[in-house]
Formats: sequence, structure tokens, C-alpha cells
Amino acid sequence: MPLNTIPAENFLNREYEFKYLKDLAELKGNALGGNVFLEGARGMGKTELLKQLYRFLYWEDGVVPFYYSFKTANLKGTYFARDYFTGFVRQYLSFAKKEPAIADNAAEPLQRLMPVISSLGLHWLIDCIEDFQEHLRKNDFYWQIVAAISVPVVAAQKSGKPVIIMLDDFDAAERLYESSLGDAHGLISLFGESMRNRLCPHVITGSTGALEAIFTDHSLIGMTEQMRLGPLPEDLAAALFRAHLAHLKVACAPGAQLKFLDILRGNPLYIRNLAKAAWKMQKKEFTEKDLIECYAFEVTEGETAFYWSSVFNRYVPNASKRKAMLKLLMHSIENGGMENGAQLVMVSGLGEAETAAILEAMEVSGIIRENDSVFQDFIRCLYLKEIKGREARDVREKIELKYVSAGEESRFELVIPMSSNAELVVAKAVEQIGRNIHLDPDFLNYLQLALIEVCINAIEHSGSYEKKVFLKFITRPDKLEIIIENSGRPFSLDSRTEVPVEEKLRMGMKRGWGFKLVYAIMDSVKIERINDRTRVILIKNITDKEVLQ
Amino acid sequence: MKSVQFNVTSRLDGDVAVIYPKGYLNNLSGESLVIECGIYIGKGITKIVVNFSETDLINSIGISMLLQIIEDLRNIKGTICCTNMSKFLRDTFEMLGLIKHMHVFPVESDALKYLKAGKA
Repeated sequence: MPLNTIPAENFLNREYEFKYLKDLAELKGNALGGNVFLEGARGMGKTELLKQLYRFLYWEDGVVPFYYSFKTANLKGTYFARDYFTGFVRQYLSFAKKEPAIADNAAEPLQRLMPVISSLGLHWLIDCIEDFQEHLRKNDFYWQIVAAISVPVVAAQKSGKPVIIMLDDFDAAERLYESSLGDAHGLISLFGESMRNRLCPHVITGSTGALEAIFTDHSLIGMTEQMRLGPLPEDLAAALFRAHLAHLKVACAPGAQLKFLDILRGNPLYIRNLAKAAWKMQKKEFTEKDLIECYAFEVTEGETAFYWSSVFNRYVPNASKRKAMLKLLMHSIENGGMENGAQLVMVSGLGEAETAAILEAMEVSGIIRENDSVFQDFIRCLYLKEIKGREARDVREKIELKYVSAGEESRFELVIPMSSNAELVVAKAVEQIGRNIHLDPDFLNYLQLALIEVCINAIEHSGSYEKKVFLKFITRPDKLEIIIENSGRPFSLDSRTEVPVEEKLRMGMKRGWGFKLVYAIMDSVKIERINDRTRVILIKNITDKEVLQ
Repeated sequence: MKSVQFNVTSRLDGDVAVIYPKGYLNNLSGESLVIECGIYIGKGITKIVVNFSETDLINSIGISMLLQIIEDLRNIKGTICCTNMSKFLRDTFEMLGLIKHMHVFPVESDALKYLKAGKA
């Protein structure tokens, strides 16, 4: 039973949603509300909101709360029916008696609860239990499920007291089966009757990808509104983190800004896990550097890593397919998205059909929709461990290093039109960026030339309809990275074929020097193709001689 | 980097044409440079000094235009001298193998002395 939850004062920034859900039974009774689908990225606090709502309603008397999590449910229909039915009966009695132990004691057979039921005068509930047991005796699969799903409705109708039904990870109900997986599609639609009942508002969570398909089911269309749980704002995210630390008795170093928390994008689950990591790692005076260290632990071996691994296992239980999914996700992170076709089959190392099935599982799980840096770091870590065979310790250090140096980085973005002399704007920009980090003016001339060449190449040869070049400058104390991206024709490496000056003079061919210069000037030049875009990544390492002393 | 609008000026010093490209040497400005040199070549001048003191930035198209001038002078057995080049410009020409097809002097007067001495 979800009474074990964080203190209400630490449940931040969900006042509006909480109030709405608290009043949902009344709203539905007046036909002003229906059922609610709680949407939001993983870890955004959907389950926590249900738990908070449950706790609030439990200690009041007006609405009966019923919480059921499909996350841990056995999806074999008969098991599910029994679990759902007994779960409701226990929670109902627990609510009526205000005795949490009744709901918690899952091992106690329903027969033993009969005296409690009788003492409360709930004769209709005894009828329900007897009916359900009759379906069990007859081994009637269909009626077991119907009886289980409808028991909250019966309770609401008999008592006149609304029952708010909270179905966590409801999309899993799509996979309910009779005796083997996939043999009984559509059982989820049996919830339609219950959802329609005006005394029983439902609050549902689950993967958007999966639930979109479910809500196209005719019996469920139009009965559900979406409620989106967004991230916590920066200040509240920091406040929540500090509150968790305080509960765990971990002190923050005086003046610690905790800027690195931004990477968690206000995700309450990540915030809580990171605070717990600080406690597990026995941090005393918590600093910014500790934060990065704890984060690296979290995405490598901590609860966040465990959480995402569980999500993986749930959607792709097979180990070799999970590895293929990992390769696909890593490919997606490195290339900023998924392309279609043969390349993905090559990346996954599986056949076309199996690759398509994995992509489908990824789509349903919603993980590729989430532009989530924490998730991406988790994938990087898992990839290094499982595919590259690296030790967890090495991986952790790699993540730490990435962010310790990133802390000192600056980013600038620039978009130029593909028009005459637009490359000079870029040259001017890189000059100023270079000055900001005290680069030698002579050295800057070379950078300007390299950049001008890449821009000219894009402007002259891409044939882009968009007619824009996108530039990103990332400066670090030891490195300058410039990313130039444009749509249009792919860059051809043929243009790199080197022709000596003598040959150029003899053949009357004077052009084709641009990328020779770029390669000579930069330490690394990478050319990538992402969908219809060409991306050139230029890297120049900054040593002492390039910096003004 | 100075924001100078590109232009080409020139003067005749005896039988030597001295060309002064200013600003960013790209395709359009490179063409003006080729035209300017072409005018002198058309008049029978075979010795050209290009003074780069006011050229702050260049691109590969501008460089290819310079190669055009080298070729035009080669066809008439002429000489090109480049002067007042920044280290950046000189290194760039070196990088592309252009430097061996021109005479490089630190300052314009050295190039003029060299050409007038009839060593070219």
C-alpha cells in the first residue's frame, strides 16, 4: 500500500495537480471531470503524486483510494484478477478501519477478514467475495477478470462513496494474457466499464507511447484527460535536493552552489537518488565536485542505473536483444537520432525483423522520446561496460572527467544565412570567442581560415533549401570544439583528393584547397551525416603556445 | 581582424607594377586582383609586386585567384614577388606549396630592389 511516501512538505511544485486530483471524484460526479492520464518523463513524480494523493484521501473520509501498480503485477490473467481483487478488498477495509496493517498484510487470506467485513456491515462485499470465489472454482477466466475490475465500482455503488482508482504503469495491462503471452489481446478494454462509472474516477500513469494506442480503444476514447507533470524549476530542484540531504544528515559545504544539479532537469527521482548516493558515499561537506562524483556513481552503479536497467529488462527481456538495443541507443545518442534502414540493422547486429521489433519496443517504452542527459549518460556507461567490457570504476572516472572539465566550458551558438560574406560573421565570432579565452591573435587567424573554408563549402556545395549554416562553439581550457551543420547534399570526401600546385597550374584547375587547409589547421576533423544534414566537427587542442601569456 | 571593405590599388614603379590588395581576399576580391594584374600584363609589364600589408584574411578561393596570377605571369615568363605578408599568410601559402612559385620579401622595397637589379 502506498502510504510509505516522502513527507508532504518535500513534495514540491505539484500543488495544482494535487488539488485537481483531490477534487476529481466531485468533478466526475458533476460531469466536470473524468479520468486523468498523468503524463511525464520517467522519474518526474507520477507515482509519487499518486502516493501523496492516496495518503491524503486515506486519512480523510470522503473518497476511497485504491492504488494498483502494474509495474510489479503478474500479468497472467488469473493471477492478476486475484491480486487486483484481494488488493482492493484489503485497501477498502484498511481505509474503512483506518488500519494500514490490513492492507499491508498480503499473506492473510480473505476468509480471515470476514469478521472485520461483518463488523463493518459490508454484506455486499461478502457477496462479491463469494461470487469471485465461485468464478475461481469454475475456473472461469473471463468472469474472474471482470469481477476483479468491477469490485471498486460495486463498492462505490453500494456505499455511495466514490472510489478513486489509481492505476500505475497501466500500459502493462495491454499485455494481460490467459495462459501464454499474447493469447488474449484486448483484455485492457474490460476497464472501460469501470472508467465510465461516475463514482469511480481513474488516475492512470504509463508510457505515453503505449497508452496512446490504448486510448484509441473505442471503449476508452473521450473519457480521459491528460495532465502533464513537468520538471521542477531550478530553485525548487535545489531546495528538494538540500531537503533530502538534510534528512539524510549530509551537510552542504558553505557556499556550495550545486550548479551541476541542472543536469537532472528538475527530475525528482534523479534528485532523490543523487541525494541518497551522497549519503551512501558518506559525504560530509558536500561540494560541487562531490556532486559530480556522486552523479557518476549514480549513472554507473547507483539506483538511477538500476532503475533504467529495470526499464530495459521490462521492455526487452532477452539479453542479446538488450545488447542490440543498447547499441542502437548509443548510435542514436552519438548521431542525434535514428536513421532508417540498413545502417540500423548493421548497428544492432541482428536481422531486419528483430531490429524492427527492438525499435518498436523502444518506441513503446518512450525512452527514445526523452531527451534526457542522465539517461544518455546511463546508456554511455552501460555501453562501455557491456559492449566494450570496461570496468565500472573506469567508466565512473570517465563520466567524472567529462563533467569536471565541462564545468569550465562555454558554449556559443550562431546561425548564418548562406549568403555572400556571411562567413565573415563567423570569422568575427570566433575571433571574439578566442579573445575571451586569451588565444593568440595569430592562432585565431588559422581558426578563422578553417571555419571560413567549412562555411564556404556548405554555402557553395550543399544546395540546401534551408539556406542556413548552424554553428556551435564549445570552449574548454584545453580544447576548442566547433560544430558546423547544414542541410543539403552530403559532403564528398572526393573533394579532399590532393592535387599539387604544379598539377593545378598545368591543368588550369585552381580550386579544391579548402579541406586541405582545414585538415592542416585543426587537430581533428570529423564529418558526419545525420538524416539530411551534414555535420562537421572541428577540434583544436589548446596548448600553452596558443594562449597569450 | 579589421573590417575593411576589399579594394585593390596599384602603382607603377619603373617597369614594376605594385599591387595593394586590402581587406578580405575571397572570390570577388580575388577577381579584382586578377583584373588589376591583368591590366598591367596587358600593357607588357612582366614584374609584379603584391604588397599584402593590408590583407588581413584570405580564403581558398582568394588563394586560387593568386594562383591564376602566377599562371598568367608564368605564361609570359614574368615574375611575382609577395611582400609584407603576415606569418599566417606566409604559413598558409607554405602549407599549400605556393611559396616556391613566388619570391617572398619582408618589405616592398626589398622586392623592388631585387627586381630592379635585374635578377629576376
